[in-house]
Amino acid sequence: MRKLTVITGLMVALVSLTASGATARAKEQPHAPAAVDSSWPGEEMPLPLTVRTPDDLVFKETAEHQYLIFNLLASGKLAYDRGDMATAATKWETLLRVPNLPADLDRVIRPLAIDARQRAGGAAAELPPEPAAPSPDQAALAAVPAAAKKRVSVVRGFVTGGGSLGAGGTVVWLKRRDGATPQPRPSRGKTVSQKGKKFIPRVLAVPVGTTVYFRNDDEVYHNVFSLSHPNEFDLGLYQKGISRYKTFNTAGPVDLLCNIHSSMSAYVYVVDSPYYAQADRRGNFTIRGVPPGKYTLRAWHETSLEPTEQPITVKDDVVEVAVTVTSDRPAPAFVPDKAGKPRQAQLGY
Amino acid sequence: MRSHLAKMLCFALGAAGSSGAAAQPRSEPPQSVQEPGPENPNDSPGYTPDEEGPSASGSLKLHGYIDVGFAKAQGNGSSFRQGDTRLPADYGVDTFAPAINSRGEVASLDAGGRFVNGFLPYSMEIGSRASFFINTVNADIQYTPPGAPLLIFARTQLLPRFANGTKTRVVVEQAFGRLTPFSSQEFALSVGKFDSVFGIEYLENQANLRIGITPSLIARYTTGQSIGAKAFYRYQLPSISSAISINAAVTNSGNWVESLQTPDISLTGVPNGTARLGYELNMLGFQVKVGGSGMYGPRNDQQSSAPRQRAFGVDGRVIVGWLSLSGEYINLREDSGAEPGKYTGTGVYPLASGFKVDGFYNQAAVAIPTGATSLQTVTLYARYDRRHAEFEGFGPILTSRWTTGARLDFWSALAVKAEYLFNRENAGAPTVPNDVFTSSVVFTW
Repeated sequence: MRKLTVITGLMVALVSLTASGATARAKEQPHAPAAVDSSWPGEEMPLPLTVRTPDDLVFKETAEHQYLIFNLLASGKLAYDRGDMATAATKWETLLRVPNLPADLDRVIRPLAIDARQRAGGAAAELPPEPAAPSPDQAALAAVPAAAKKRVSVVRGFVTGGGSLGAGGTVVWLKRRDGATPQPRPSRGKTVSQKGKKFIPRVLAVPVGTTVYFRNDDEVYHNVFSLSHPNEFDLGLYQKGISRYKTFNTAGPVDLLCNIHSSMSAYVYVVDSPYYAQADRRGNFTIRGVPPGKYTLRAWHETSLEPTEQPITVKDDVVEVAVTVTSDRPAPAFVPDKAGKPRQAQLGY
Repeated sequence: MRSHLAKMLCFALGAAGSSGAAAQPRSEPPQSVQEPGPENPNDSPGYTPDEEGPSASGSLKLHGYIDVGFAKAQGNGSSFRQGDTRLPADYGVDTFAPAINSRGEVASLDAGGRFVNGFLPYSMEIGSRASFFINTVNADIQYTPPGAPLLIFARTQLLPRFANGTKTRVVVEQAFGRLTPFSSQEFALSVGKFDSVFGIEYLENQANLRIGITPSLIARYTTGQSIGAKAFYRYQLPSISSAISINAAVTNSGNWVESLQTPDISLTGVPNGTARLGYELNMLGFQVKVGGSGMYGPRNDQQSSAPRQRAFGVDGRVIVGWLSLSGEYINLREDSGAEPGKYTGTGVYPLASGFKVDGFYNQAAVAIPTGATSLQTVTLYARYDRRHAEFEGFGPILTSRWTTGARLDFWSALAVKAEYLFNRENAGAPTVPNDVFTSSVVFTW
């Protein structure tokens, strides 16, 4: 009972802090970071947790480890919000050095720490190496629900079509016909770079809920935006080294453009399935971890008005399919600015 | 129990991690909170084609449009009142012939062949009859060589004319190369035949780009193409979400449209200089662009460089959500010709009078996106034009025009437009029935 009381208090504190962060986000304005309350209890360690039993000690160590992570995480955020980039960078850099930091948290915080350090203007801190990404096999095993681990298949094949661009980059995904398609887990650390006045990659497939970072790697400013409803967004003007992001919560194609450079274009395709892949330059693709069942395979190419569909049945370990994508979407003759006004790319402005 | 509590703690931490991600300025926070876990085995790194990588092979793009019109003009489709034989000329200049297409061409010229001194625009020769016609068959070629900061562009237009007057022509409207030598600067240098840099109306001079159908009453002075060199430079001021730009050109002739221009080569040996200084404010959902333009050089239609032309103008655009407001003003003066003869795009004429004009337009448009794949945008627009023009030796003429219409955009490839022009002669000329209904279907490829 005593443990529960302590935990409840801790949870309330954590949740309220999280809610505080959400409020701060909701108030964010393009050029006026919202004022947030920068104080909260327990700034200093150790936490006032009573230890009477070995279990209490284990719990206290766990809680303090997590609280240290949260403390650095949130205090960095608050410093960032009030424009104190040096403090934000220091907090987050310290966070990255915390032993046994979860890899996914590392991947989220690392670019923020770098960004804050660059904004602060100081010398870049030496950070520990990035955690290794899990191998596809490890990830596949971990991602699949336990009940399905006994039997998953690979769907692979090749895509034809795509007109003069070829089939490379085609997004292929599966939707169940004999039941509900599982909700995909958002990907982490997805980045579209702006380099040489181009978007790299040109086509990126992400599951619903994924946050994509748009990092400017050019010397010139960029203003990434999209008019693709309902995923439209406008990240405003920003300089080299800065990343801004958008979370894509609705499935479908998202045309990426730059309000400064009308020649820049790229695509994010948001899929509402965990079973998806992108074709390589030759049109080959592989979808892993597919449980047996009946599916509709959908394929979208940047030259497609709508995805093509075909039914497939997954029952063997490896299922081979051939896919053809349409090229019925005309290349845009002119490029809109973020207000929708057409621009002539040959003018260069 | 302990593992359950730890899971709750991890969940809270995951939520906090999502909160941390929102530290990026100016964007939406992640909407859903997911329990941290391994990456999706199907995670994709994205796809970048070879032509955008180091082994790029150049990029060739072909685009174009076909503009088909349908119009009906009042009166006899010209700027002359039917049966009016008192006037030896249409006041020395066409000021109120009813334009019916995006090129500014009129429904008809004077059937009597009266003296017009080269200032009539091209005509579709439909008189007062309702008629279909083909305005423009346009083809654009754009090539970007691999590994070079270069763009090569050509715009060729076929103008099929099926009446006895204006002939079918092929026009190389633009042909230039653009060099962007500095990757760290917004600087572009173009050489060839290109759009004017005066004002803003040239930005939507093509039928598929223009919101409405007909150009403004001052477009003939600002939207022409000429051969020469131009430089564009823009400097961003991100701290105030702004940019300033300069666009300067040195060309054989000025900014007059084709029918009023001299030949593309220089007749005087002295170039015209044109420049626009612009300021942009780019806020989220709110843009303001203003500019001031100037032009100075010899008259385009003389073989001596002594007679000069000079112009200045201001322009502005405000875009807030679906609403866009734009306006432009020009003040232009031409000296009298020093030698007999005026060389225009439609021939050689005897008189080269001094000329001065003040004019402006204001336009409001509401573009409503439908969210549908087929009919994507519905745009309603209205424009008011006013022009005060005076030829030396003739009285000043004040004309105005109200234009209102609608545009429907389908599939990003088809625009259907219809508009009505209320042309008014306010002073210096008798009233002529010259209101126009005109429409246009533009297929873009």
